Parts: sequence; structure tokens; C-alpha cells
Amino acid sequence: MTPPEDDDQPVMLFRDVAKVYPLPAGDVRALDGISFQVDRGEFISVMGPSGSGKSTLLNLMGCLDTPTEGDIYISGTRIGDMSDADLTTLRRDRIGFIFQYFNLFPLLNIIENVTFPLMLKTGKGVDPERGREVLRAVQLDDSLFTHTPTELSGGQQQRVAVARALINNPDILLCDEPTGNLDSKTGAGIMDLMTELNRKGTTIIMVTHDPHIAEYSRRTIRIADGRIVS
Amino acid sequence: MIFWEIAKRNIRLHFLRSTLAMLGIVIGVVAIASMGILGNSLVATVSDSLSSVGDSVIVFPYAGGGGGFGGGGGSSENLKITDQQFQQIKRAVAPSVAIPVLSTSERMKVGVGGDDIVASVYGVDPKYLPDLNFELDAGSLNNANSGCLVGSEFAKDNNIKVGSRISMGTDGSKGTLRVTGIIKERGMSFDISTDNAVIATQDWYENTYKTENYDEVVVKVKSGQDTADVKVVIEKQLNKRDKVVSVMDSKATLASIYETFGAVTTFVTAIGGISMVVAGVSIFNIMMMSVNERVKEIGIMRSIGTQKKEVMSMFVYEAAIIGVIGSAVGGILSLVAGYAISALMLQSTKYLFTFATAFSVFEGVGFGIVVCLACGLYPAWQAANLNPIDALRHE
Ligand SMILES: Nc1ncnc2c1ncn2[C@@H]1O[C@H](COP(=O)(O)OP(=O)(O)OP(=O)(O)O)[C@@H](O)[C@H]1O
Ligand SMILES: [Mg+2]
Repeated sequence: MTPPEDDDQPVMLFRDVAKVYPLPAGDVRALDGISFQVDRGEFISVMGPSGSGKSTLLNLMGCLDTPTEGDIYISGTRIGDMSDADLTTLRRDRIGFIFQYFNLFPLLNIIENVTFPLMLKTGKGVDPERGREVLRAVQLDDSLFTHTPTELSGGQQQRVAVARALINNPDILLCDEPTGNLDSKTGAGIMDLMTELNRKGTTIIMVTHDPHIAEYSRRTIRIADGRIVS
Repeated sequence: MIFWEIAKRNIRLHFLRSTLAMLGIVIGVVAIASMGILGNSLVATVSDSLSSVGDSVIVFPYAGGGGGFGGGGGSSENLKITDQQFQQIKRAVAPSVAIPVLSTSERMKVGVGGDDIVASVYGVDPKYLPDLNFELDAGSLNNANSGCLVGSEFAKDNNIKVGSRISMGTDGSKGTLRVTGIIKERGMSFDISTDNAVIATQDWYENTYKTENYDEVVVKVKSGQDTADVKVVIEKQLNKRDKVVSVMDSKATLASIYETFGAVTTFVTAIGGISMVVAGVSIFNIMMMSVNERVKEIGIMRSIGTQKKEVMSMFVYEAAIIGVIGSAVGGILSLVAGYAISALMLQSTKYLFTFATAFSVFEGVGFGIVVCLACGLYPAWQAANLNPIDALRHE
């Protein structure tokens, strides 16, 4: 069961969350005592040095993992109580992921890549209409729709990745270094796209270590050694 | 569905290794199915040449050592069953019928001017003929002392019809017999091999050969009695002091023959099975490769909302496509291989288009698909249960 979008509840609530990776060389406490709240429509950037736990935090927000200690609530529902299948459905329907390395599927063409999450949802084949609609919204040229991902430039691939993240109209967008592999001009284009989406109501949480990129957000969470410092 | 499409494209992308894995399955299916076809044809060939004698027990004089098919002619008087022994047998097996049989081989001539031929001659009292259950191609059972029955093959080879005369012995020294009936082909038989024989009456035989002892006794076991029990009873009665007769239980003998052929078929099929195991290992191998190459992709799929079972289905489809194509090709080729082997080894392909053949092919194909699915299952399960985070971090 997927928690419904609920206006009275914060989109996301972390309470004393810790994440420990048990490793043979000793446990790694990647996150420790994390508490914060994300409200609807926020645009947050998460900053911190390498290895500080930013990706770990984003993975927890994306319900890819569960915390070792503490509780995480998505729209008021504790994710620790949800089954893997329910968490997967939650990711499919309510969360869009954008990665640093685009992460498109090499065996699928652009339209198929973009409509992949929609196909998961409907159980049907490609919906080219909807695919084109979303691809046009991220300003990708129509002539590229039947190409394979490797035939596209980095900036074009990232636009496709954004379109894929948007296809199921998620209310939360999670981005891990979305401009990390793009030149600053292309990166700025992607950030304009995000700003536009946020203006339309999508809650965005973005990991970055680039202060210029962080400026697009309206709130910054800084972490170091797995703790929130400001 | 998109996962079906991805499975197809991945096979096409790795065309060579997928084809090699399919080839393994093809070989496995062909090995199993064609061995099965060969075994079935072998059994069919044997059972066709053995007549179903029904439940009979055959008593031969004990020849020392082996025994078995001792009925043939030329045995000396002490290798006979005496009338006294016959009476003992008759009493022991009642209510089953004991039939004394005399036999030898003899020179004879059919028609005028024909060449001398040699064939088996049996002497059987006409009152027992109904119990022997001969089916006739033509004519009727013989009652007259100078009449006889002949086997169908003998009749065909020598152009014999009902009413034909056979002069027995060199230059007709043993008189003439008139054919009253022709016995349908029975194949090799444990009791009386009629196909190439003349069956005369007991009286004629005893008069002609001046003998009163029998060469074998055929016991037709009545339903309700067990052939094995009858065998034991006879042995107990007659072999009290010395072993004087050997007793063959036709049913048990037939069963052991089929059992032997069945075991041979199973054995050669199992050898075919080994190649299927090898094929299975190669399927497992390429499926593991397929999973390991795509760990990152699986991580992305899982992170954007693909269920475990959907990831699993993608890999199961891949194994299934390889299995179904490989097995189907193998099924077709095994018919060809079965044909070739039967033609070469049995000089006959008439047993090829039977239910047993269809079953062997079905078995091979089914086994091929099952092996592919089974060997694809663990890699698929492993893919589905990858930790999405570790998979995403994978480079
Ligand atoms: N799956 C994992 N297994 C074991 N240790 C992990 C795992 N993921 C992260 N870590 C450890 O947790 C700590 C935080 O890692 P994380 O990836 O969250 O950092 P980050 O802030 O995203 O760094 P970067 O800016 O380099 O991406 C690191 O010490 C890392 O080695
Ligand atoms: Mg990181």
C-alpha cells in the first residue's frame, strides 16, 4: 500500500536516523542522529564533503534502504513498516530518481527508456504519446526519440533521465549530483528545468557539492561525518 | 511486455554465446530423444518377433548345465520326458492343461520335382490344439491322422495352400501329409515355433519315429493360477531326487527380456542425460554472466520502481527463450537422428512413427525446457534479490 499524498503531513520526516554499514574492517556509521523534515514544494540541496553520507541520506529518502536506527516517515507512513513490494511501488509512483551518470537502459531506445516507469505501472507496452509529451517538456529534439542512449550527448541523456523521472508525475524528485557530469552551460539548462518543475509543485531534494548549483535551491542542508551541521 | 522485449534484445546482443548455449540444449535434447527412440524401436522389434504365448510354462528334459530352448530335434532317448513324467506333470498342474509335444527336424518335399527342404516337425495330439490357441490364416485345425498344419512363413516360402501335400523324409520314406490349415504368423515362441514348421498329429509322429517319449511339455496355465507357482510345483514334483527337467516360465522370461531392454533404454537415455546436464551448466553460466554484466542496470531498475519478481521474470524469459528454441530445434533434429540410427542399427524405420517415438521427443524437449528454466532460476533469483544500493554503486 502506497501512502497517499497528504497535505497535512510533511512529505518526509526523519527522526534520529542512523545508518550503519557493517563491514569486515569495522562498522561504518555513515549517518548518525539525523532529524529533519521536508515540506511540500520545497527545493532543498544537500551539501557536504565526499564520504559525508549524502548519497546514503538520499537513498534512505528514496526508500532504497531502511535506517539502522530511528524512523523515516513518508507522508506520515513509517517506511520501516512497509514491505519491499510496497516500497518499490512507492518509488515507482511517487518518487523520481535522477543520477549523476544518467543511468539509461542501453537496450532500450529513448522513448522506451522514458516510458519504462509508466510501463511498470500500467503493465502495458510503450505509450509513445505520453513519452513524446514528457520528452518535449524537457526540450529534447523529436528526431532523437528512437535513438539509443549512447547516441546522445551527456546533456541530452540527462534530459531523458529527467523525463523518465517525471513520467509517472511523482511529487518527490531526488537527484544525486544531477549536473556532476555536465559542463556548466548544460548543467544550468538542467537546473532551469528543475526550477520550473519545483515552481509547478514538485518537491526536490538534490545532492551537490557545487555551490553554484546549490544556489538554485531555497534551502541547504549541510552534513559532515554523517551529521547535519546546518 | 517490456521485460520480454529486454530479454529478447539481450539474447540478440550476445548472439554468439546464446547460440552456443542453445546448441548445448539441442545436443542434449537430440541425445535423450534419439536414444529413447532407438530403445523403443528396439523393444518394438523384439516384441514383434516374440509371440505372446499367453501364460504358459514349458518343461524340457534337463540336459545338464543350461537348459532353456532344448526342444530341438536329434536329442537322444534319455533326453526326453517319459509318459510317466508327463502324467506327474499333468496331475501337478491341474486344472491347467499339460500338452505333450514331440519334435524333430526332417527332410521333406513339396509337390513334384521340388527340392528337398528341412523344417521342424512337431507331433501334437489334435485334442490339445484348441488349448494352443493357434489362429489360422486358412483352412481348419487338423484331426485326420495324415493331415497337418503348417506355419505361414513355411507356407509362403514353399507355395503351400490348404490341400497341398508334403512328402516327408528322403524320397517320401515317411509318408505324405495333407495340409489342412495354415497358422498365422506367431513369431519366435517359447512353446512351439510354428512359423517354419509342420505340425502333425501325435499318432502319426509316434508311428513314424517309433517313439513314446516327449521332447517338451507345454503347460497352458489357466487364469487364476500363477505361472511362477506352476513352475515351482512342477520342479518340486519331478526334480525330487535328481534334476530331470528344467522348467521355463514364459511370462517371467518375457518380463525379464523386456526388463533388460528397458534397462538398456534407460541407460542409453541416461547417457544422453549427461549431455543435458552439461548443457544446463552452460545455461547457468551464461545466465550468471548476463546477471553480473547488468548489476548496475538491475540497480537502476529497482530504484525506479521495478519489483523483484519483474527483474526475475526478465532473466527467466531469457532462459526460457534459449530453452524453447534450443529444445524445439533439438526435437526436430532428434526425429532425423532417430530415423538415421534406426535405419542403420535396426535396418528398419517402421517403428519410428509411433506413440513411443512421439513420447521420446516430447520427453527430450520437455526435459530441455525444464533444464533451461531450472538453470536460469537461480541466476534470476539472485538478480531479483540484489541489494538495490549495492547494485547502484556497482561499476
Ligand atoms: N553500500 C555501502 N556499503 C558500505 N559502506 C558504504 C556503503 N555506502 C556508503 N558507504 C560508506 O558510507 C560513507 C558515506 O558514503 P556516501 O556514499 O553516502 O557519501 P557521499 O557523501 O555521497 O560521498 P560522495 O560525495 O563521494 O558521493 C562512506 O564512508 C562510504 O564508504
Ligand atoms: Mg555520493
